[in-house]
Amino acid sequence: MNPPQVMSEVVEAEESGISLDQRAVERASRDVPTWLKDRRGHAWSVYEDTPLPTTRSEEWRYTDLSRLIDFGELRLATGESPPADRPLALDEAMAEDRGAAGHVVLMDGGVVQVDLDPALAASGVILTSLRDAVDDHTSILEEHLATEAVPPEQGKFQALNAALWTDGVLLYVPKNVEIELPMRVTHWLSRPGSAACTRTLIIAEPGSRVSYVEEFLSEDFDRRSLQSSAVEIIARDRAEVQYVSLQRMGRGIFFQAAQRALAHADSALNTLNVSLGASVSRIDLNTSLLGPGAHGNLLGLYFGDEDQHFDHNTSQDHIAPHTGSDLLYKGALDHRSRAAFRGVIRVHPGAQGTDAYQTNRNLLLSDEARADSLPNLEIEADDVKCSHGATVGQLDSETLFYLLSRGLSRQQAERLVVLGFLGDVLARLPLGGVVEKVTRAIEQKLGSG
Amino acid sequence: MPESEVVQDIGLDEYKYGFSDDEAHVFRTAPGLDESVVREISKQKEEPEWMLKFRLKALRIYEAKPMPNWGGDLSDLEATLDEIYFYVKPQDQMERSWDDVPDNIKTTFERLGIPEAEQKALAGVGAQYESEMVYHSLKEEWASKGVIFDSIEDGLKNHPEIFREHFATVIPAADNKFSAMNSAVWSGGSFVYIPKGVHLTTPLQAYFRVNQERMGQFERTLIILEEGAQAHYIEGCTAPVYSTDSFHSGVIEIVLKRDSRFRYTTIQNWSNNMYNLVTQRATVAENATMEWLDGNLGSKLTMKYPSCYLMGEGAHGSIMSIAYASDGQHQDTGGKVVHVAPNTTSTIISKSISKGTGRSTYRGLCKVHEGAVNSRSNVVCDALLINDTSRTDTYPYIEVEEKSATVGHEATVSKVGDEQLFYLKSRGMTEEEAMALIVRGFIEPIAKELPLEYAVELNRLIELEMEGSVG
Repeated sequence: MNPPQVMSEVVEAEESGISLDQRAVERASRDVPTWLKDRRGHAWSVYEDTPLPTTRSEEWRYTDLSRLIDFGELRLATGESPPADRPLALDEAMAEDRGAAGHVVLMDGGVVQVDLDPALAASGVILTSLRDAVDDHTSILEEHLATEAVPPEQGKFQALNAALWTDGVLLYVPKNVEIELPMRVTHWLSRPGSAACTRTLIIAEPGSRVSYVEEFLSEDFDRRSLQSSAVEIIARDRAEVQYVSLQRMGRGIFFQAAQRALAHADSALNTLNVSLGASVSRIDLNTSLLGPGAHGNLLGLYFGDEDQHFDHNTSQDHIAPHTGSDLLYKGALDHRSRAAFRGVIRVHPGAQGTDAYQTNRNLLLSDEARADSLPNLEIEADDVKCSHGATVGQLDSETLFYLLSRGLSRQQAERLVVLGFLGDVLARLPLGGVVEKVTRAIEQKLGSG
Repeated sequence: MPESEVVQDIGLDEYKYGFSDDEAHVFRTAPGLDESVVREISKQKEEPEWMLKFRLKALRIYEAKPMPNWGGDLSDLEATLDEIYFYVKPQDQMERSWDDVPDNIKTTFERLGIPEAEQKALAGVGAQYESEMVYHSLKEEWASKGVIFDSIEDGLKNHPEIFREHFATVIPAADNKFSAMNSAVWSGGSFVYIPKGVHLTTPLQAYFRVNQERMGQFERTLIILEEGAQAHYIEGCTAPVYSTDSFHSGVIEIVLKRDSRFRYTTIQNWSNNMYNLVTQRATVAENATMEWLDGNLGSKLTMKYPSCYLMGEGAHGSIMSIAYASDGQHQDTGGKVVHVAPNTTSTIISKSISKGTGRSTYRGLCKVHEGAVNSRSNVVCDALLINDTSRTDTYPYIEVEEKSATVGHEATVSKVGDEQLFYLKSRGMTEEEAMALIVRGFIEPIAKELPLEYAVELNRLIELEMEGSVG
């Protein structure tokens, strides 16, 4: 490697920017193992062959990408020259993360800090940047990265991310290792008009236990920027994994996440998506219950104001018999904000003894807000218990009246009711350590509204 | 047990109404659909110029629209569209009385029990044989009230102004591929007009019958209720079994003026080679009530979503449906409610049973437009699975643009519980009897809304179907 050449490339990248194109893929494929080069190249060809989804497709019925994003305008955030000073907001957010088994900080698509409890490192736990893992843990990545869980074939964004990812996190928990405190990961995006493509790979070996909490932050931007995230979780037999995503990015951002969890026998998977920030947020979440006794708990909450647009597309795939899943997504929408929820429970042939539930509840706080909900069931086994429910409504007038009669102002009363409505979701979170943070984030947003 | 002996005698393998008469049609168009077919239909019917223009325009829309890429599998149907006869005229003249109806047609009707139904003083019988009304009667007392119950052709001929004012206003030709097809080639169906304030206490009833292999039936029905009118319309279908696929694509339009009240009951038991693709919709004005009662038991594939457009303040829409999918059948049914005006309410109750390789799909829409203040909608779907090869899906679309609206949807899927079966068997029932009892209980909330003779027939059908379903 020739350092001066790298320097000049960084300068080139920052001056004119790197478009999301074939050259960017080639650039990312230099000095990497052949398998990764091939994988990026394959992902790029899938990306090119996949048309931009339109509202004519069921999965994108309520989000018109052609009006929301222009890939040609975006420039890849390489993470090669992070801002010299740590933004205050980033430090503030991290200051709340008391009690962590490890930290990772990413800025503009690159990891700038990793620390892990030495005792855990000694017991074989791996927490590292994905870029380092290409050399240090290449066999793990070769086996699992963008193959099993979120391959490029899953969609346009998934293909883009698999082709162009610049960095991310690998978390590996060995057999029977139980980690009490969560791993805390913070993402910061500083450049308007940029596209950050990051990935997370979590592998929990049999009998292990871990909680992973990541937060996405940025300033408000006046130019459309993209944060693309691919999250792959593999929970082996009897493993227990909690994954939490707290999205508090600034306006102007298109936040996109493709999350998929593979749950093997008797494992427990708990996910929570909190969507508060960004202008547009699209989350695809799949939980596949592959082994008997596996259970998935899928939680989500969103609170929109101004012209925010949230789109959640979830699926619960019951492939093995005797598996369970329970989904609860709740959201409140103020001003002209919109939310779309599309969720499907699929019980595959032979998945007898499935228990699967799905609930989406929406609160409209303004005349101009809008909620669309499509809870779907596709059941191909008969010995099952499945149900789903969806509601759209307004603040409960009796509760409001009670609070007003106790001397609260209308605004205070409404805030309390919304908090109670959303807080319901947090009460279901099995592992602690994040409820406080999430509650504070919602309160902050409610206060500013 | 005597009852189960009766059940045995009827036999399971043969379709109940699976007989067919010799074909005795007088005129039919060439197979396939093009402009000459449409012109020929219009000419045969001696239609006014505007209708021919409407048909031709619809044909162009039909040709431009792609086949739906959702719902059931239409590929076999698409491949055979060129072989379908789009128009068959059984006779040259409308029959005036029962005595004049040809014997072979009469035999068919007798086996379907129509004269019996008439004896029960059911209001008017419009029996449709192939593509046109061949027999039609209307009680004199209603004629004196100004009620019109005609074939759709006579509606156009004899009441051109009312007809033209309402025709295709509820379901435009461009609504979907099959409504466009129907608009181009429609033939047969009913025209119903209930004047202001008239209450009909006994139902209007029409029987439908398709009787020629590969013949499509494109029934078109237009029903208008003036202010404060009340009526109930019943439509039942049976069709003979054939070896190749048949096709039925109807359009039912209903216009409810303010304060009117209407119920439309359909029991569909097409033989299981039939594609049944129907568009049916009502516009509901101020304080009017529309009720759809929809039973889908037969056909190979049914795609049918009765709709209520609640256009006036205080309008109410209700959709109750039962779907039964047996081996090889796909019932893709549901309902749509669109709330446009304030204080509108709607309920959808859907029950489905899937047996063998049968598949039941609930597909529904509840849309509340901005300004439909204080609207309320509730949707409940329950699915029962009989075998491990059965399938059920639920696809509700909920779209709410109004803050003060309250919309709820819930659905459950379950199988017949072992404990329930065990209990009933311990009380001396056979497994089949127990299963039939449980299934009857499952659909009871909707079955009880059916006219008695339909409810009896539905119960009989379930008994037959539950045989051999266990174990």
